[in-house]
Amino acid sequence: MNRASPRMRRFAKHLIVSDALVNGASKAGRATPFPITDTLRPHLVTLMGNGGVRALLARALALSAAEISWLRAVHVNADGDLEGLEAAGSILDPAEFLEGRVVLLAQLLGLLVAFIGPSLTSSMVGEFWPQIPLQDRDFGKEHKNENAP
Amino acid sequence: MKMPRKAAKLHLLKPGSRPSKVAINQLPSGVRGFDDILGGGVPEFSLSLIGGAPGSGKTTLVHQLAFANSTPERPALYFTILGEPVIKMLRYQQQFSFFDHSKVGNAIRFINLSDMVLGKDLATVLEEITTQVTAANAGVVVIDSFRTLARKATSDAGELEVQSFIHRLSQFLTSSEVTTFLVGEYVQEEIRDNPLFTMVDGIVWLSQVTERNSVVRKLQIMKLRGQASVPGLHTMRINTDGLQAFSRTLGLDSNKGKPARRRRLSVGIPDLDTMLGGGVLEGDSLLVAGPSGTGKSALATQFIAEGLRQGDSGIMAIFEERPEGYTQRADTFGLNLKKAEKKGTLEILYLRPLDLSVDETMQAILDAIQRVGAKRLVIDSLVGFEMALAPGFRADFRESLYRMIGALTGAGITILSTVEVEDNFTSLQFSHYAISFLTDDIIRLRYVEIDGQLRKTMVVIKMRGGNHSKDIREYVITDKGVVVIHPRRTDYAQLSTGIPYRTGPRTAQENEVPPEPKASQ
Repeated sequence: MNRASPRMRRFAKHLIVSDALVNGASKAGRATPFPITDTLRPHLVTLMGNGGVRALLARALALSAAEISWLRAVHVNADGDLEGLEAAGSILDPAEFLEGRVVLLAQLLGLLVAFIGPSLTSSMVGEFWPQIPLQDRDFGKEHKNENAP
Repeated sequence: MKMPRKAAKLHLLKPGSRPSKVAINQLPSGVRGFDDILGGGVPEFSLSLIGGAPGSGKTTLVHQLAFANSTPERPALYFTILGEPVIKMLRYQQQFSFFDHSKVGNAIRFINLSDMVLGKDLATVLEEITTQVTAANAGVVVIDSFRTLARKATSDAGELEVQSFIHRLSQFLTSSEVTTFLVGEYVQEEIRDNPLFTMVDGIVWLSQVTERNSVVRKLQIMKLRGQASVPGLHTMRINTDGLQAFSRTLGLDSNKGKPARRRRLSVGIPDLDTMLGGGVLEGDSLLVAGPSGTGKSALATQFIAEGLRQGDSGIMAIFEERPEGYTQRADTFGLNLKKAEKKGTLEILYLRPLDLSVDETMQAILDAIQRVGAKRLVIDSLVGFEMALAPGFRADFRESLYRMIGALTGAGITILSTVEVEDNFTSLQFSHYAISFLTDDIIRLRYVEIDGQLRKTMVVIKMRGGNHSKDIREYVITDKGVVVIHPRRTDYAQLSTGIPYRTGPRTAQENEVPPEPKASQ
């Protein structure tokens, strides 16, 4: 099941771009491998343990790879890092690289919404990116208004 | 050495006086009915074990406890260890109404210790708990599942390590002013040999008992230091509000005596009031026993309607007929119950869910009594009530009913209960099971064969509060309800058997006007 709805993708893109701006990355399309997951991961590990987070990331990656072929070369290593992402970023067109990460993040957030619900996912995002207004991270609308493609 | 006068005074107690004892604050459990069972609430800074088999409600209970007692300043830390993953826990627990999303992450923090337990020793785990509790200034700590943690110690270093771990954990958490709940899947046989059960301050045991097709959830406080909890097994239920507990005592004081001077209450049937010596004494429990069709529900309706007329709010707990049937019958008697329902002075409780527990039914009745400030209560019928219960609860029925009736009548509420009995035409039964001990007064309705008709008679069997008529009176049910028609019949004997014989002068049949028309007429 594809959880990266258009709305979730828009949100993921917004989050990646704004995070890059806030954290001073040189260019949104060619940033460090994936600072968003790096930010979320310790929190998720506290909740789910390493194994849980690895499984969640692997699932998001599998869902994303069905749509973005270059993500098939990426995998989750024992530490929970996305191995192969940095290498892919160095050879891909920035827009293509950004699109892949947008889909991956959208799938990851979509999974969290499916598991723990829109409210808790929104709180978690708000905890790390408080600059994002509440209405922009209202994932409840996600379920009501839009279907995944 | 001589003590300074002021300091010495502090050590002096007046003869017979006791030193003031430490006050143990009690935390609200957040579980309806549980505080009563605990004896007021959870003792602050205590270390309690929530034990039971999988599926018994342990995790839900500790979530309620955590949500009820956490603030961002003194958060609850929920440590999970190789049990239910947090992501699933959050998924399921948020289905309950007590789950406050805004508390997750700040007032309630979930910390997964599974990796640490798998990879490190207990000392490291304790250090991690210590660090987290200190950093967060936690007020509540939950460790779920503690059994998994203890099992690790047992396998590696043995029992002593577990004891040492519990001791150090307990010492640290209590000193840190933390109230702790350890959750574990234990079986009762382990209680004797497991040192954990000795070391904790409280043990709350949850269980499920299966009887025929129904499952009954039970809760027991097996141990609680510092305060008096209510002993025994208490019924509990898990619904959308989470866990709800129903104390065996229903939080009622059954020892409360009835007031010395009590009003006589009309039952709404003037002749019956006369038979009762002027009416039912306020705070009495009145049983109306009779076979099907003798007008027990009609009489109960008149009793409530008369109360409403006199300003006494009422509750009708019905188990057989639907509320609409009740209000319609009342309409035919010219008694408008709907108006009172709208006004909030009457509630008709229709209680027939599957696998009802006696204590939760009684709680529903008590809640309704409190809501409307009821002075009169009808239970129609006791047989229907018992039948609505899950088989496992029926054994407790009379005991619980006795407790509730005792407490309610003690509080001045007048209760009319109906019970169906079969007429056997050889003797006069009051009820098919021994419930007459529950009642102060008994009215028996029965069919009697007279003059080719199956007529109805009533007699007051018992009135604890005073004298009453011994007459057997005939009555009919008209558009005014139950109406007593004939004076005492002296021209018949053995009316109580249902097949009397005439002792008085025989009159021609045509001369005796039957109370209700005969088929030929």
